[in-house]
Amino acid sequence: MATEYVKLVDVTKCDGCRACMVACKNWNDLPAEPQDFLGTMQSHANVSADTWNVLTFVEHENSKGGLDYLFRHSSCYHCVDAACEKVCPESAISYTDFGSVVIDHDKCVGCGYCEQNCPFDVISLKEYKDKNGKEYRKANKCTMCTDRLEEGLQPACVTTCHPGAMQFGEKEEMLQKAEKRVSEIKERYPNATIYNPAGVGGTHTIYVLAEKPSVYGMPENPKVPTSAVLWKDYAQPIGKAMVGGVTMALVGAFVANKFFDKKGKEHEEDGGDRHE
Amino acid sequence: MTNHWSDIQHSDCALIMGANPAENHPISFRWLTKAQEKGGKIVSVDPRFTRTSAKADVYAQLRSGTDIAFMGGMIKYALDNELYHKDYVVNYTNASFILKDTYEFNDGIFSGYDEPTRKYDKTQWAFETDEEGNPVKDMTLKHPRSVFQMMKNHYSRYDADTVCSVTGTPKEDFLKVCEAFCATGAPDKAGTILYAMGTTQHTVGTQNVRAFGMIQLLLGNMGLPGGGLNAMRGESNVQGSTDFGLLYNNLTGYLGAPTMLHPTLEAYNEKETPSAGYWSNKPKFLVSLLKAWYGPNATKDNEFGYQYLPKGNKNYSHINLFSAMYKGELEGAFLFGTNPVVGGPNAGKEKEALGNLKWLVAADLWETESASFWQKEAGSNPSAISTEVFLLPAASSYEKEGSVSNSSRWMQYRWQAIKPKGQSLADLEIIHEMYLHLKDLYKNEKTPAAKPFNALDWNFGKGNHPDIDLVCKEINGYDLTTGKLVPGFGALKDDGTTTSGNWIYSGFYPEEGNNRAKSRDNKDTGGGNYLNWSFAWPANRRILYNRAAADLNGKPWSKKTAIIWWDASQKKWVGNDVPDFVVDRAPTDPGGTNPYTMLKDGVAGLFAGNLNDGPFPEHYEPFESPVANAFSSQDSNPAIQLFDGEFNLKGDYKQFPIVATTYRVSEHWQSGSMTRNQEWLSELVGHMFVEISEELAKEKGIKNKDKVIVSSARGEIEAYAMVTKRFKPYTIQGQKVHHIGMPWHFGYKGFATGDTANRLTPHIGDANTTIPEYKAFLCNVRRAN
Amino acid sequence: MVEINLNRRQFLKLSGATAATLAIVELGFNENEAKAKTKEFKIAKSTVTPTICCFCGVGCGILVHTKDDTVVYTEGDSDNPINEGTLCSKGTTIRQVYTSEKRIEKPLYRAPGSDKWEEKSWDWMYKTIAQRVKDTRDRTFVEKEDGITVNKTEAIASLGGAALDNEETYLLAKLMRGLGVVYLEHQARI
Repeated sequence: MATEYVKLVDVTKCDGCRACMVACKNWNDLPAEPQDFLGTMQSHANVSADTWNVLTFVEHENSKGGLDYLFRHSSCYHCVDAACEKVCPESAISYTDFGSVVIDHDKCVGCGYCEQNCPFDVISLKEYKDKNGKEYRKANKCTMCTDRLEEGLQPACVTTCHPGAMQFGEKEEMLQKAEKRVSEIKERYPNATIYNPAGVGGTHTIYVLAEKPSVYGMPENPKVPTSAVLWKDYAQPIGKAMVGGVTMALVGAFVANKFFDKKGKEHEEDGGDRHE
Repeated sequence: MTNHWSDIQHSDCALIMGANPAENHPISFRWLTKAQEKGGKIVSVDPRFTRTSAKADVYAQLRSGTDIAFMGGMIKYALDNELYHKDYVVNYTNASFILKDTYEFNDGIFSGYDEPTRKYDKTQWAFETDEEGNPVKDMTLKHPRSVFQMMKNHYSRYDADTVCSVTGTPKEDFLKVCEAFCATGAPDKAGTILYAMGTTQHTVGTQNVRAFGMIQLLLGNMGLPGGGLNAMRGESNVQGSTDFGLLYNNLTGYLGAPTMLHPTLEAYNEKETPSAGYWSNKPKFLVSLLKAWYGPNATKDNEFGYQYLPKGNKNYSHINLFSAMYKGELEGAFLFGTNPVVGGPNAGKEKEALGNLKWLVAADLWETESASFWQKEAGSNPSAISTEVFLLPAASSYEKEGSVSNSSRWMQYRWQAIKPKGQSLADLEIIHEMYLHLKDLYKNEKTPAAKPFNALDWNFGKGNHPDIDLVCKEINGYDLTTGKLVPGFGALKDDGTTTSGNWIYSGFYPEEGNNRAKSRDNKDTGGGNYLNWSFAWPANRRILYNRAAADLNGKPWSKKTAIIWWDASQKKWVGNDVPDFVVDRAPTDPGGTNPYTMLKDGVAGLFAGNLNDGPFPEHYEPFESPVANAFSSQDSNPAIQLFDGEFNLKGDYKQFPIVATTYRVSEHWQSGSMTRNQEWLSELVGHMFVEISEELAKEKGIKNKDKVIVSSARGEIEAYAMVTKRFKPYTIQGQKVHHIGMPWHFGYKGFATGDTANRLTPHIGDANTTIPEYKAFLCNVRRAN
Repeated sequence: MVEINLNRRQFLKLSGATAATLAIVELGFNENEAKAKTKEFKIAKSTVTPTICCFCGVGCGILVHTKDDTVVYTEGDSDNPINEGTLCSKGTTIRQVYTSEKRIEKPLYRAPGSDKWEEKSWDWMYKTIAQRVKDTRDRTFVEKEDGITVNKTEAIASLGGAALDNEETYLLAKLMRGLGVVYLEHQARI
């Protein structure tokens, strides 16, 4: 088993400069997408197909009666047990040896199951046009700069982070650092915690948070939807056997509509058990 | 900055006031975070809760424009609780000097005030001297007219309750700040003050800085690693452009520009050269500059060309400049990468003023709001504007080569990465070409106008493209006798045998092939000072006044705050920096305990008699204020220049009851011309907004994201409301006062557009620098329909 | 020319990055192998030039990656002791200072009363500007005032310079003082 790597995001060191957002666009050549005014310093409500990480801004009146201005770099968590990987009918989503979860655009057919099943809402579809003007879609998200990792470089967002709010390294070392940091900041932030949710088998983006996850709008206990598990472990193999693995997306469309709730994003607590 | 960026990591406490480095100098937080990790504290004092405040250990709110009240209170706190560094104060400051009877202070006015001219006779703020002209001292500091006692008396009025009733700071927060920062008065502690335009852009801006200086002297923080008084500069080379004399009142290297008061070189030298201290060498620097500018046309017989220099007779600073332009007194103007239609005070009127020019030349990367002030988008009627506009495409910073000087005086070289975009050209070439074309027109003329221009010595290579290496060498200077580059400013002379385009930089190019701005050896040479990375003026020194980090015997005050020390065996000062002292002057030598070598008395001034508005900082209300001054019957600074007419309207509290301030955000820069023309940054902050407290929003019926109108005596703008918990109303002298804040980055060009905040700001300036009071003015706000 | 030392760049401290790449290929990226070869690593063949950030006064070092006559990437200079390879959002975006479509690339002239720009040659611009400067200067030049030689014109102003290089500010100060300009100001004042 190769060494696992994680990106440790210590939000208590982040000063909200948003270099991570631009570094991502710069490295990945992503276009700008002008947004409406959101009423806070936050630029985008969520990540999107062209904005793979977003810095969130939260004004929080803390338990001591003081004001905290909380910043968080949010992007794909690169789950150990990734729902997106499970539901992808084309096996376009896979784990790399670094632990990152990546989408192969050559295989992606734009069905959107990954987008619908992500417990963190960090995958987005983008529409493209081919040279004949025909529209097609592909799923997009943070790659953890896997192309950089392969060359021995760290993710672009980590490299640029000046207060050292992000580090990239071996999982065990990062976890130890996270624990040490939480103990150091407990006096100032009594609710400080590590975010590495077990419901998705742990993640490869691990957080040191100053407050409870819900204060940051993060799911407290995210899980891989049961439907996704069913799909991956039962339906997909059966479907493949049925049609000889030719075009899983067609079969997928039929099967998936049974399994997945296209609108509901309720897999946080119940893992999607309420379907059917 | 007296110190430098990575030095901040050595700080035990960083007082950040009048600055928001997390947003405007983000990389400072790399070092502030390191300081915090080592147990240091960050204190943020700001009218609004910023991204800096979010990271601070202590936050205190203060009303914009009340810094002196706050700092006066801190001075009193340090004195009352005897937290000051006594040995430092006694020996390294003028605390012991005795003041003459002519110095007085009464109800907000210092002695020597002349009301009609709004000026002080500063000779009344003098020290008692002995027969030889040396100041009379009382080293016990007990003499009632000693600076120390007079200072104590002056700030006795600044008790915490009065201070907080003026600043609006919760008293417990004020005391927390005082406690945290004054703890650095211990000899083994160092505290730094980081400030920026939130400090300076006030009618009392210079005195705000003075107040910081005083507390740093009292706490013995000047000269120490992790200490100092650190002005964070907002532009990549605003340090350099100031060093190089692009202000009306300075030639290069802070040599004052000649005026009508200096009819001859002799008169200049007599009036401007102090009898002691390093500035006593001033004539050498000026003559070397004249030789650099006028070459063979500068001779002993013609005062080294001194008469070629223009002599002004008044204040020509930005506000006055635009006043004159508005009145039609100017015909032409050059704008080099500047955008006053967004960045200038009372910007709507500055835009109108541009229309009174016959011609305007703008060199820029972009079509700025200023270059296009005549367009319909600007609200102008093009057919009614007869100004000719020349817009010259300039190359960006990495499309050319040259050096910039950062806040800590480090001169770093930038190499050319790519050829200039399109037909754009480096400003160096544009300026050079401008000279060549003018020279072409003037070369055969002998008129009075032609004479001084033709006297310029301009030798930067043949052809249109100037040789930057020759420019660099001219800045450093030559020994004309040997033809070699001078090794440093110590070699400069006043007899015309040396040149130097800017004496403070002299030594950056000490010999052929060694432009030290290009030095890239990043090995830590000790103390994190990186002496072989770039060149820091003066003399590659990284921490100014570093002699003061050692005691009278030349021993560091503590091991932790050591930087240089006297090595008796080598008979010289050694350590981790270039000593800011005569390197072989022993502590026992005459002057061996006078660390402030630039100053006449060799010690730092707790009492400073050279400013226009008083020797001790005194609180005055901003020009536009919601309250009367609680400290005296002088509401605003009595020494500021008042302007009148429709160009300079003043708002009344009844009509405009809300305090407003302007600021910048991480994602944009200055007038936004650089950043609003870049898509990724425009995306991050794409809209003009106004920050409003929940309380004010409720009173005004404003909801988050509503469009609102902000008005002042100068005009109105529209913006989105950002209703936030980070703004809270103040209680000032028992009365509720609201405040709002807004970024000043926006204009009508670029990807991200919005109304210009500076259409609201007043044309009023500081008593010493005339820097506009952008940071505190009155306004009102209402929902847009 | 400058020698760039990239030693301090943040390489992964793993048992060899190359080994990891191989491992990935073996672990099921085989199908992508052909694609990986056609899609070259973004900065593999770029020219790297160190610069200093053009924004605030911190003075961070930046590396500019150029390839095929454009800027393909900008990142912090890890050798620079001020920022050690890190940057803020503005510094990171410096690439778009070059690539932005809003850059003006030709000299533009606006005639009196006109509502549009006209493209002109550099030579025309220089010659015309020089004539305007000379005309104004000659008419407004004051040689003496109250018997004192003052050699100035109060009819021309020069503003700006904080974004220029030192060498440029030096030439600008020399030229403007040489012309007798007293309304000489830049952004330090505002």
